[in-house]
Amino acid sequence: MIIEIKNAVCRFDDIVAVDNVSLDIKKGEVVVIIGPSGSGKSTLLRGLNALQSFQSGSIAVDGIKVDKNSKNIHDLRLEVGMVFQQFNLFPHLSVINNIVLAQKVVRRRSSDESEKKAWQLLEMVGLTDKAEAYPAQLSGGQKQRVAIARALAMDPKIMLFDEVTSALDPEMIGEVLEVMKELASKGMTMLVVSHEIGFAREVADRVVFMDNGKIIETGTPSEVIDSPKEKRTQDFLSKVL
Amino acid sequence: MIEWISKQVVLYWDIFKYLLPAVPYTILITVCSFVLALILGLIVGVLRISRVRSVAYLAGLYINVIRGIPLLVQIFFIYFGLGGILNLDRFFAGVIAVGICYSAYLAEIFRSGIEAISVGQHEAAQSLGMTRFQTLRHVILPQSMRIVLPPIANEFIASLKDSSLVSIIGMRELTRAGREYYSQYFVDFQTWFMVGLIYLIMTITLSKVVKYLEKVYSVKGFGSQKT
Repeated sequence: MIIEIKNAVCRFDDIVAVDNVSLDIKKGEVVVIIGPSGSGKSTLLRGLNALQSFQSGSIAVDGIKVDKNSKNIHDLRLEVGMVFQQFNLFPHLSVINNIVLAQKVVRRRSSDESEKKAWQLLEMVGLTDKAEAYPAQLSGGQKQRVAIARALAMDPKIMLFDEVTSALDPEMIGEVLEVMKELASKGMTMLVVSHEIGFAREVADRVVFMDNGKIIETGTPSEVIDSPKEKRTQDFLSKVL
Repeated sequence: MIEWISKQVVLYWDIFKYLLPAVPYTILITVCSFVLALILGLIVGVLRISRVRSVAYLAGLYINVIRGIPLLVQIFFIYFGLGGILNLDRFFAGVIAVGICYSAYLAEIFRSGIEAISVGQHEAAQSLGMTRFQTLRHVILPQSMRIVLPPIANEFIASLKDSSLVSIIGMRELTRAGREYYSQYFVDFQTWFMVGLIYLIMTITLSKVVKYLEKVYSVKGFGSQKT
């Protein structure tokens, strides 16, 4: 198991955001987490690279225990790529330098090597013509594709996607999902928090439905989306489909 | 009438020539003390937002103490108080006093510049495996610098004016030279008019330079959109 979550609990004051969640993910598996807002999906995802610390339970990624205060937290984050809803590109750097920066600073790669890698990734996301542009000059969909390339440049073993299409105009969602599909077909282990039920149905190996901080139901897309057993899953899907 | 005017012109020119050699000292004191203020201010500003509570508290204490004491008193304290013990000359005492005083103001500007950058930038950098220091150095500060450039430039111009206070400990800069001229020739209006005019020329020139720098360091579309 490349990701092992055991009895994870995360509280904010008196709100329990993640309530005793356990989830194992195999290498190469694509898992899509769906559920209403405030159900704890994003909190769980952020726990996997310690952007969010948990009060109890344990999370391990590729055999490394996730602990915000441990020395190997930076090694762990190298293995886990993350893409955010709000893109979070570095606005003072050009597209190519957004992808190069961490390779040089963290992976200690040479300029040539980092740039070569960046160009390959820009090719993959179809943005070689925007290499010298600055983030503010890109559309939302383009920004998000750069953000994916930036995360992939670190050669992560796992990619986390935190509602990456939620801030996009509808006509740009497709281009981002295309890149994610390609990534999934290449065997990347992916954990995706999304409202794109169609994407989940098409790409996911497993769909997890969360509500109120708990995993309510989990199974193949056809099991969870097409014939949900739980009442809460049925209610949620009837609203979004 | 014409005679009066030509006499005045000669007088002003005479004062100008007398004051001009002192101008480089005003510039030197200002530049040296501001470099000191930038270094100290950046360090204190970063420590101010340290996650170690006691460190942040001490940095805050430094800022409040320094900001709460008049610069003139700090100059006296460093030159006469500490200077006696450490054997500081006028120039160093003046530079240290102005530098420390302005470091407190700059620290607050740096802190606000760092805090103005969104949490998402920190998270993105950290998710790529960067340490807190790497995040600060490569992601946060380059963005903060563009935000803090105008307020820091204002402080620089203010420190140029405040460097005149160093004249009180006998450092011969522009203001001191003005006092010397006045005590020799007793023309108060013309002397202080000319001293003021020279300061004004320097400060106006500086604000033009700052405008230019802001343009040079701007990034296409930066700050106008979400990223």
